[in-house]
Amino acid sequence: MVGFDLGETRRREARRALALSAGAHLVLLGLLLAIPETDPVVLPGVIAVELVAAPSPPRRVARRPEPIASPPVPQKVVLPEEPVLPEPVVDLEKEYQDLMAQLREELGEVAPELAAARTEAAAESGGLAVSPEVAAWIRSAKIHVRSAWVLPPGFRTQLLQTHVAVDLAAGGSVIGEPRVVRRSGNPWYDENVVRAIQKASPLPAPPEAGEWAFVFVPEDSY
Amino acid sequence: MARVLSLLGALSLAACWPAAAQERPVVVVTPGTEHRYRVAVQRFADLSSQPDSSRALSFRRDLVEALDFSSVFVSLDLGAFLGPEVTEAVDAPPICSDWVQIGADALVQGEIRAMTGRTEAEFSVWDTARCRRLLRRRHAAPAGEVRFVARRIADDVAEAFTGVRGVAATELSFVSDRGGTPEIYVMDADGGHPRSVTSNGSINNFPSWSPDGKSILYTSYRSGNRPKLFLTTRGRRRSGSLLPRLNSDLPQYRAVFDPTGRMLAAVLSADGAAEIFTVRSNGRRLRRLTKNRAIDIAPTWSPDGRRIAFVSDRSGSPQIYIMDADGRNVRRLTYQGTYNTHPAWSPEGGWIVYETRLKGQFDIWLIDPEGNVNVPLVSHPRSDESPAWAPNGRKLAFSSTRRGAADIYIIDLSGDNLRRLTSRAGHNTSPAWGPQPR
Repeated sequence: MVGFDLGETRRREARRALALSAGAHLVLLGLLLAIPETDPVVLPGVIAVELVAAPSPPRRVARRPEPIASPPVPQKVVLPEEPVLPEPVVDLEKEYQDLMAQLREELGEVAPELAAARTEAAAESGGLAVSPEVAAWIRSAKIHVRSAWVLPPGFRTQLLQTHVAVDLAAGGSVIGEPRVVRRSGNPWYDENVVRAIQKASPLPAPPEAGEWAFVFVPEDSY
Repeated sequence: MARVLSLLGALSLAACWPAAAQERPVVVVTPGTEHRYRVAVQRFADLSSQPDSSRALSFRRDLVEALDFSSVFVSLDLGAFLGPEVTEAVDAPPICSDWVQIGADALVQGEIRAMTGRTEAEFSVWDTARCRRLLRRRHAAPAGEVRFVARRIADDVAEAFTGVRGVAATELSFVSDRGGTPEIYVMDADGGHPRSVTSNGSINNFPSWSPDGKSILYTSYRSGNRPKLFLTTRGRRRSGSLLPRLNSDLPQYRAVFDPTGRMLAAVLSADGAAEIFTVRSNGRRLRRLTKNRAIDIAPTWSPDGRRIAFVSDRSGSPQIYIMDADGRNVRRLTYQGTYNTHPAWSPEGGWIVYETRLKGQFDIWLIDPEGNVNVPLVSHPRSDESPAWAPNGRKLAFSSTRRGAADIYIIDLSGDNLRRLTSRAGHNTSPAWGPQPR
């Protein structure tokens, strides 16, 4: 067994490494436990983890929402001098791996309908990952506004794109005059677009009240 | 442990969610099938010294017809109105919700006054969704031309909503043999009120408007049994030879005014072949642009007056070519088809419409001046020929034998709203759409 005897020094190093590893896990655990129970982020049931390749997404004009509070992070991590190797570390790690595997499954690797919803949601939003709830609203808002949008033939063959910021009440009513934030170059088209939004009011109730960005494009020019 | 797991899950999710957490997605809207605004046209208040109940109704009918002609509006029945059927005052703001509720996008209200020898109309156009007045204007015309006032108002309303003026108040010139010989005629843009411009019993063809709409240039065999260019002007009893200074023995086949009206592109005979020239409308500064044994005909100016598209058979078959207005930089535009002719450059400059022969008959196609896009506009087993642009570039006129004898038709640039303007009156060919009235 001599061949396997590492000697006192190497044994001490190994113990220290093990202790460091255990300490790191403990700190991680502590960090997690320090997070408040209430979740400040409204998390959707399905998420998109990658951007869908889309034609250069239109400039986003929505007012940025309030920054979401990030979980408190300890400023300084002090490792104990002589950590005691706790027994459950291995179990926790295994548990963590199991959890990650479970999450990966939930994220669509084994759930095609979830993956499809995710892709659709991302596509609906022009490449931005959104929740199914938001994606569903975008879909219904799009259909609703389209039905109110009268576009005479002369506009349909032109390369036009108007970006409008629309202030929506919780119930979907358009508050005030929609704001053209990027003009198409054809003032009558811009007017036509604003008219369509006004006519479409009230829209389906949005997931959140506030300013939402709309882009109006004649079919062939986008 | 459940808490740990949920927190672990939350953390991992949040890590994957940076973009969505910071920005709202954009709603991209593409158009549906609605092409026409719904317009509510009130009966104008009759403020004449002797009001006539039928005057405002008949005016409204004319206005509704003219709005329908625009392809931009469809009007709502008086019976559907929640708001007043008759305008109370042209400046009185409407209760927009009454109009929005019945689906009206636009409201036209106005007043009409019949005076001695003339009729006057004042009107307002409202965007009901935004409850905003877009236009207020007054038009007047001699008493017998009230329909013309209604058409001008319709063209104004189309312009207020689209930025492109309607063409209901314009006229078309064409050739018809309804009286026995081919003569030049003029009719309203909806086909109404056709009247002859020439009646010389000879052969008259190729009418072309001056840009101010006061004159029509045409080719006639009335003098010496040789084609010669003539000009007829509104208010003058007889038309005169256009280029009297030119050698009277040489055939003058055809000419078209440039966008300024000061210059002509003319097809004249030279060295035994038809060649293209430019010449001032007073006959001075004759300049030959094409010089070859081939036939060069059918010139059409680009809207900026810098280029001319024309037809040449120099390649062995008739094809469309483009050159600078001084004859330089000639290049062939069409390569598809073996017989392409009769080009007409669009008023906005983006298209050249032409006719192409397929299976022994002609269809109408559009090509862009760079030759990148080449698409059919009118296809039919019978021939469709001689396309001509409306001055707003949104409609075209052409002649077609689809009902046997040739008739004049109009169609939207989108290919919709085909409409026949002439009927059961000889052969009707060579339409030329006049400019906006001034």
